[in-house]
Amino acid sequence: MTVSRIQPGSPPLRNVAYQRLVAERNRFTVVMTLTFLVLYFLLPILAGYNKPLMATKVFGNVTFGYVFAFLEFVVGWVMAAIYVVRARAFDRLAAEAQQ
Amino acid sequence: MTFVLAAVIVAITLAITFWASRRNTSASDFYVAGGRISATQNGIAIAGDYMSAASFLGITGLIALNGYDGFMYSVGWFIAYLTVLFIVAEPLRNLGKYTLADMLVYRLQDPRVRTYAAISTIVVSAFYMIAQVVGAGSLISLLSGGVLGASVAIPLVGVLMIIYVVVGGMLATTWVQIVKAVLLMFATIIMTVLILNRFGWSFSNLLGQVEARNGAEFLGAGVKYKNPVDLISLGLALVLGTAGLPHILVRFYTVPTAQDARKSVVWAMVLIGAFYVMTAFMGNAANVLVGKETITTANAAGNMAAPLLAQALFGGAGTAGGEFGLAFVSAVAFATILAVVAGLTIAASTSFTHDIYKGVIRKGQASEREEFRVARLATIGVGVIAIGLGLLAQTQNVAFLVALAFAIAASSNLPVILFTLFWRRFNATGAIWGIVGGILTCLALIAVSPNIRGIDPPEKTTGRHPVQAAPLFPYENPGIVSIPAGFAFAALGTLLGAARRREGADQDFDEMQFRAYTGAGTDGTVAAHD
Repeated sequence: MTVSRIQPGSPPLRNVAYQRLVAERNRFTVVMTLTFLVLYFLLPILAGYNKPLMATKVFGNVTFGYVFAFLEFVVGWVMAAIYVVRARAFDRLAAEAQQ
Repeated sequence: MTFVLAAVIVAITLAITFWASRRNTSASDFYVAGGRISATQNGIAIAGDYMSAASFLGITGLIALNGYDGFMYSVGWFIAYLTVLFIVAEPLRNLGKYTLADMLVYRLQDPRVRTYAAISTIVVSAFYMIAQVVGAGSLISLLSGGVLGASVAIPLVGVLMIIYVVVGGMLATTWVQIVKAVLLMFATIIMTVLILNRFGWSFSNLLGQVEARNGAEFLGAGVKYKNPVDLISLGLALVLGTAGLPHILVRFYTVPTAQDARKSVVWAMVLIGAFYVMTAFMGNAANVLVGKETITTANAAGNMAAPLLAQALFGGAGTAGGEFGLAFVSAVAFATILAVVAGLTIAASTSFTHDIYKGVIRKGQASEREEFRVARLATIGVGVIAIGLGLLAQTQNVAFLVALAFAIAASSNLPVILFTLFWRRFNATGAIWGIVGGILTCLALIAVSPNIRGIDPPEKTTGRHPVQAAPLFPYENPGIVSIPAGFAFAALGTLLGAARRREGADQDFDEMQFRAYTGAGTDGTVAAHD
């Protein structure tokens, strides 16, 4: 792959769209990643340190542990959907940055 | 009947392989199917890569034998895809490289890192592969009523896998994974519907039966993992390891654009999530309908719970329906193992040929023809190693073995990928320290953990620890120590190597970052190497 070297402070890097892209994407990535890590690690932490809660029956014989675990799947799908929507804006900024 | 069905599936996949072989004319075709797989196809293939024997056979068995603790694997493996989606999928595709080593060399401009990255890829793939061939071994020995032992089954799987990869390359491997993912989803859905039908369409009823048989503790956490730190360590390895798995990473290079890489991951998450939710039904139903004793008699680690469950659901042992169920699910599991092992083999042999042979031994001078030939030879080598290692680890639960591969990936590949993408000061010394430190810490901890060391009661004959001594490291999964250690080694190496920082390192970082964020320079196909 031969691409001309991008010099520090050269136009592409000073491009407003590019700077916005980097800032917004980084912020989004950090916020989303911390959110899902906290939500996920609640599961093993509760499973380890609060066994009575995990074994509590919420409805019928379905325990809090299972309800919580199933909710983790919902969290995963919802966060993926949010990402897909946000990514469209990132794609537009990326296209602008390359003008 | 089992063998007839398994033979039909093998025949279909072989036909795909030979069809693909006629379209495989270059090294790029071999490694990444020329970058022309669609996002949907790739998403199904990622799911096919991921819903391995470890998930299907291993988790069903873990839930059947340990209740809720087994299901925690399912959650971790699913959530792990968020790490892949948010952090690695798009930037890696945007950089348009074949392998992890390509990305590191592009950013750090130091040929030394190529060798280390390739070694890491091969080590992780090898650990993952062991789990798959062990699954194949227990499956075939169950199906043949113990006539064909693992020592026959494992080489058989190995040879088929070598044929897929050598003849068909990535295109065939992708299609084999798609066919297998569809079959696996189909089998899982049918079984779940039959289970729900059996238990009055109520998960609560199913759990009620589990409780009646095993006691209330089976519905909560703590049957397998008494120690909370063990659970957290496992969770860390699962959630952070996926983003460092070579056979998942290589999948982002098979699609045309970064948008497609993102779409693939979303497709994969839908399928994988649905599949893992169903493991809760299958595992618990296997506990009730098959019973722990029957499951452990077939395979001590629980790897046969899913096929035995199918037998029970379709009418029970000895009935025509039951035998069909057993045969069908076993054939699907067999296809699963073949497909996953083929994907791993591609990742490992690509890494060897492209990074070590072409990049290091021939200093980038190998012709495409030569590279293609070495790739095929490397595949055979990788296959033979996988067979050998699989024979050594026959008695372990496959889900647990895979968790160790994730720990190694999370400790060595993930720190290096994250620092490469986001840390301006990161350098080659940091990359080498991170990879070597992460792998060695992980392997050392496994060697002194309860996986290897432990004192078995004298009456226990199966699952004996290889070293009869008290473990020096208390947790089964090394992640909680080895993952921070991997990051620490990478950071320490960076600081130590800072004095020798190259001129132009800043520009390299800027250029890499510009591409990682915007996709500039990737024009719709995987660019030629360098």
